[in-house]
Amino acid sequence: MNQFVLQHGKSAEMLLFPHILELGMKKNGSIQLNMFPTTIMEGLRIYHIIEGRFEWHINHQPYVFYPGDVALIMPDIPFGCDNDVLKIGSFTWIHLALPKQDGHIQPGKWSGLSDSEAAAIGKILSLNNLPALSRFSEVGRIIKCIYTELSEMEVAFQARVNHQIDELLIQITRKMTQQTHSTRDFPKTFIQLEVLLRQDLSHQWTVEEMAGLVGMGTTLFTEKVKSYSGFSPINYLINIRISEAIKLLKRADITVTNIALDTGFYSSQHFSTTFKKLTGYRPSEFRKNHLRNI
Amino acid sequence: MECIITIELGTNGVRVFAYDLHGCIIGSMKGHYPTFHAEPDHSEQDPEQVFITTLYVLKNILNEYIHPKKYKVASICFCASMHSVLAVDKHGNPIGNAITWADNRAKKEAQELRNSQLGKKLYELTGTPIHPMSPLVKIAWIRNSDTERFRLTSKFLSIKSYVIHQLTGEYMIDYSIASATGLLNIHTVHWEEDALQYAGITANQLAVLAPVFTTAGKLKNAYQQSLRLSAETKIIIGSSDGCLATLGDGFIKGEEKASITIEDSGAVRVMGPNILKDEQMRFFNYLLTDNCYVSGGPTNNGGNIFEWFTRQFGEFTNPFDMENSMQQLMAEAANVPTGSDGLLFLPYLLGERAPIWNANARGAYFGLNIKHERSHFIRATIEGILYEIYSIGKMLSEQRTINSLSVNGSFGTIPFCSQLIADIFSKPVQVRQQFHSVSFGAYLLSATEMGIYTSLDDAAPLVETPNVFKPNKQHHVIYADYFCIFEKLSTKLFDEFEAIGNLQQKHVHSIKHL
Repeated sequence: MNQFVLQHGKSAEMLLFPHILELGMKKNGSIQLNMFPTTIMEGLRIYHIIEGRFEWHINHQPYVFYPGDVALIMPDIPFGCDNDVLKIGSFTWIHLALPKQDGHIQPGKWSGLSDSEAAAIGKILSLNNLPALSRFSEVGRIIKCIYTELSEMEVAFQARVNHQIDELLIQITRKMTQQTHSTRDFPKTFIQLEVLLRQDLSHQWTVEEMAGLVGMGTTLFTEKVKSYSGFSPINYLINIRISEAIKLLKRADITVTNIALDTGFYSSQHFSTTFKKLTGYRPSEFRKNHLRNI
Repeated sequence: MECIITIELGTNGVRVFAYDLHGCIIGSMKGHYPTFHAEPDHSEQDPEQVFITTLYVLKNILNEYIHPKKYKVASICFCASMHSVLAVDKHGNPIGNAITWADNRAKKEAQELRNSQLGKKLYELTGTPIHPMSPLVKIAWIRNSDTERFRLTSKFLSIKSYVIHQLTGEYMIDYSIASATGLLNIHTVHWEEDALQYAGITANQLAVLAPVFTTAGKLKNAYQQSLRLSAETKIIIGSSDGCLATLGDGFIKGEEKASITIEDSGAVRVMGPNILKDEQMRFFNYLLTDNCYVSGGPTNNGGNIFEWFTRQFGEFTNPFDMENSMQQLMAEAANVPTGSDGLLFLPYLLGERAPIWNANARGAYFGLNIKHERSHFIRATIEGILYEIYSIGKMLSEQRTINSLSVNGSFGTIPFCSQLIADIFSKPVQVRQQFHSVSFGAYLLSATEMGIYTSLDDAAPLVETPNVFKPNKQHHVIYADYFCIFEKLSTKLFDEFEAIGNLQQKHVHSIKHL
């Protein structure tokens, strides 16, 4: 494969794909100065190393990349070489424009992913935030395939390209969760998940998202959570929601409706029913009793 | 038909058992709640989550096993881990999370007190070793380092006192949990004035003291309704996990026996009418009932160390399959000669409490030669964990005659480990399979309270006849040889432990802030 750069708005091949901002490959035969300055972009940037050794800064942290490694730069994160020097070697890249949903990036309308799967992928990518993925040649293969489709424009190439981008995002998401979570330490994985859930308790977590966050399939995840915690994932989540709600009910400065929404119940009715079933009190009663104690 | 429910508030979660009046299990359930480590020395639990999880599991067990079969719940008996501290304000609201026994933030306070004359005196009066685990020094730490929390605190509770307060509205603490706070005079069974003064609090800031059989108030109306329990259901305050594990192992007065618990961490305990005295302050002495003390020594390094080893070196053919991976390693270890051909392991990965009480202690493999293979490491790791248990037992036997042992806890009751314990101690080991000593101890306590037994001594023989592992004399000789070196190493490396501990702290710290 020779060097190339396809850019949205400049290259005819890209007309049908507004969500692909740039696709390229660079073979750098000699050390070059002022070639790779630190930049910030709205898009998601993915780089795959083919040859050489590169020291790049992502969000001001240094990372070293070897052939097969992938650099993943989330939107609005600064990325480049510390001293603008580009070392000898070659790499390919793709820049994607992904719309934001609830503050998380998400595959757009072009994607074949269902809404819930797209949301799960966006959430996992944002929350795990791992910029260096090692030994991940699959990314290089997918970028090459996208380039071939764009160049040859065979029948149904538009669908093929979009499939490949979905594939790329799925692979990256899975790789990221595998790399952040060892498959040997369930207690550790579980506490990491608990911390993430508590950070965003108002979100309507699905089992799929929770499982995806820790790099497991829903079947294995549900089984492990059940045997470890004694609860199904959703019931465990209800435990956390109610515990948090109790803390808020003991303060007088927040309404019951807001407590319901802050702790992830979709309505104050749903909150009230669940709370009463577990504690015997309606939330308003619980609060009244408690404030009377004061 | 009547039944007895026991609730164990443990380190990793809550376990609820239902027993019929003969002590047969009707059903059991567990629920996990997390321990948060925001910083390496921190170890905290969310009190509301502990309470809600407990309530949820209790409700589930009632709905699944008790109500459908029309059992009447005579009593609900509590037991809990020792040494937890939860500060609540004047409205009873928690200020921050509960601090568990494993929290290490009070290490400076503990070290200073341990080296002082007051420390020696308080140890003799309270029976609790001076260590960061002790609520006495935890409260002192809050006073010194979290002044706002200290100022706002109306009461310092244990997590069990908090859960019971939610259910009944009473602030109470049982003698066993109280005797593990470092604040209770175990001779007079009153809060110790010198300890209160050291901590900077008054007795009013602690829960009301009560014997382990005490009914801790009446279940609130809402809970009677949501749990479908009658107002007569007794909420029995109960005891601590350590005391009840010993009781649940079927101890009889005057029996020359020691109880070994090895779960994640471990302990060796004896029971009797007198406390153990020790110049070096190595033992704990906790109070079960009047004139009945549970004494012994705790280790930080039990089954959790073998789990660590398994995570690093196990096969894990299926993701997260700890159990199978551990079994495979155990099978490999069984093929290695007794004594691992001279490979020794110091298991101090988490520092150590008894017998060396050295937070700086670290792990080591010693005696490695070119013929040692992977499987030697597996066996050496298990032997090292059990040598450590033996070193506590040896220390206890300086003051008590021990003729037999009973073993409980998930790691200790693995047959391979039970046999090793018998061989290392050269004493018969009794093990009950599929048996939960702590909960059974709570059942015995409740049944005695109900008058089914006249006393705990009368109740104890009820414990079913266990399997017995007989010691192998030849193996014992080999273990005894290696243990001499193990014991020397555990103290000989004192300076190096401190040096490496300091370096680890220094460099790990600098990496974190890169």
